[in-house]
Amino acid sequence: MIHEDMICPFCGCLCDDLVIETEGSEVVRVDNACTLGSHKLMNAGKHRLKAPIMRDGGAWRDASYEEAMEYTAGILLDADRPLLYGWSSTQGEAQGAGVSMAELLGGVIDSTTSVCHGPSILAIQEVGHPGCTLGQVKNRADLIVYWGCNPTEAHPRHMSRYTTYADGYFLENAFRDRKLIIVDVRKTETGSIADEFMQVKPGGDYAVLSALRAIVRGREDVVPPTVAGVTKEQLLRVAALCKEAKFGALFFGVGLTMSPGKYKNVRNAIELVDDLNRYTKWTLTPLRGHYNVYGSNEVFTWMTGYPYAVDFSRQIAFYNPGETTAVDILARQECDAALIVASDPGAHFPKKCLEHLASIPSVLIDPMHTMTTPLVRCQIPVAVTGMDASGTAYRMDGVPIHVKKFLDLGYPTDTEIITKIFEKVTEVRHP
Amino acid sequence: MKARFNTGRTSAQGQGLEAKARPEYMAATSICMMNPVDLMDLELEEGERVLVRGPAGEVVLTAVQNEGVPQGTVYVPMGPYANAVIDAGTHATGMPDYKSCTVDLEPTDDEVKRPAELMEAVGGLAYLGDEE
Repeated sequence: MIHEDMICPFCGCLCDDLVIETEGSEVVRVDNACTLGSHKLMNAGKHRLKAPIMRDGGAWRDASYEEAMEYTAGILLDADRPLLYGWSSTQGEAQGAGVSMAELLGGVIDSTTSVCHGPSILAIQEVGHPGCTLGQVKNRADLIVYWGCNPTEAHPRHMSRYTTYADGYFLENAFRDRKLIIVDVRKTETGSIADEFMQVKPGGDYAVLSALRAIVRGREDVVPPTVAGVTKEQLLRVAALCKEAKFGALFFGVGLTMSPGKYKNVRNAIELVDDLNRYTKWTLTPLRGHYNVYGSNEVFTWMTGYPYAVDFSRQIAFYNPGETTAVDILARQECDAALIVASDPGAHFPKKCLEHLASIPSVLIDPMHTMTTPLVRCQIPVAVTGMDASGTAYRMDGVPIHVKKFLDLGYPTDTEIITKIFEKVTEVRHP
Repeated sequence: MKARFNTGRTSAQGQGLEAKARPEYMAATSICMMNPVDLMDLELEEGERVLVRGPAGEVVLTAVQNEGVPQGTVYVPMGPYANAVIDAGTHATGMPDYKSCTVDLEPTDDEVKRPAELMEAVGGLAYLGDEE
């Protein structure tokens, strides 16, 4: 059976033009997706856990959904400071149920944002977000900047759908009319196709952004001959290109958010865009990783006022990244139970956090056997949103997209499982 | 040799995300991409192993030559291997130093551990399902 116009549930591009062919309950062909999306869709059906599993002494055993959900509610109710972490590869509906549960438990809810674009949000909260939709970029932008990111490997269709290789309504010959600037600490494949590749010494992004801002504001006299490995000549060239553009779009990745300076790097990038907006039109968009990590920020904000790292232990929503973020809470050995949903801290958190996670009662809700599986006491397999579950997901530019189901493999959705656990918690806390 | 430790996505790492117990994921995340000059300084050939010692611990990786990586820096795909050496401090931002810690590199003959062994080393219990 052929399924057309399907949505890819891999990265924040949420490509919506996939053609997927299924035979029975197997995906046999995926057209239009990038290598990452194809691998997910071709493999996600094959590597599922078949049923919930629980630790039994020094071994794993199968369990029923009822037993696993009962156990989950039990450890969350027994905890003084439960951590509910993840939420980025699941539906908005499940994220909403998670926030309600965190509030009732007086726990902390955090999404993978805290280890990807959390610092971008901190910067946006300081100086705002001059953003736009990807459609605007595709149809109007004649200068694209990718700073501290590598779309060729991490968002492989971004350039062909929205920037360099995409046809634009207001560009006569989009490929020739668009210029591309890449800023990175290493020369990647993306760098090799750029009109300007600006190689920054590691940790030098803030200084280079400041130098560009000085030039844009007419103070090139204060810029030294080289800034973090970039020559003044190149900085002048890049600043001139930026000012000459009719519509510039700056995309940035975790190269800015994870490097020294963290959210201050992003703040400086936003302020560079502000400076450029005195001359011409400029916008800025973070390249988001998980397909619905943006959704977690939206849902958390509607419900609590804060985009991630929300702590309900004071009976009101409290937000203080660095204190209420998952890595910090685990590293301080502060939480005494954890519910991990749709993410893999086992693969992506520093070792010290994993040592604490492995020492407390914890449950993983995820379709696959992941690096977090060995660290938890119980795992509940669920449907993959965008494959055997429908739901809402937010693209990296904040556009909500209905992610469609095209298979039925008999698994419950994240929303169903979390809602049932929430009901069990409610029975005890608010009988 | 000291080097700056950088982590991030690669397409092979991204392709392995749905099957992390498979050897492909291990192969994709247990590499240390280095400038050819740094490889030469360490007297290493591509494919040989390198011990990376960071603020939180050490890990054995397979050395891979990459001319795009500047001298004095190494690039390790994000995953359990990179995280074995990264400190959990976040400077009050929530974000660890995934791209800026300093590591020591030296050649080694030790084997690269399997991901399940890494998880057992931090107190986990490997799940030997139908994957392995």
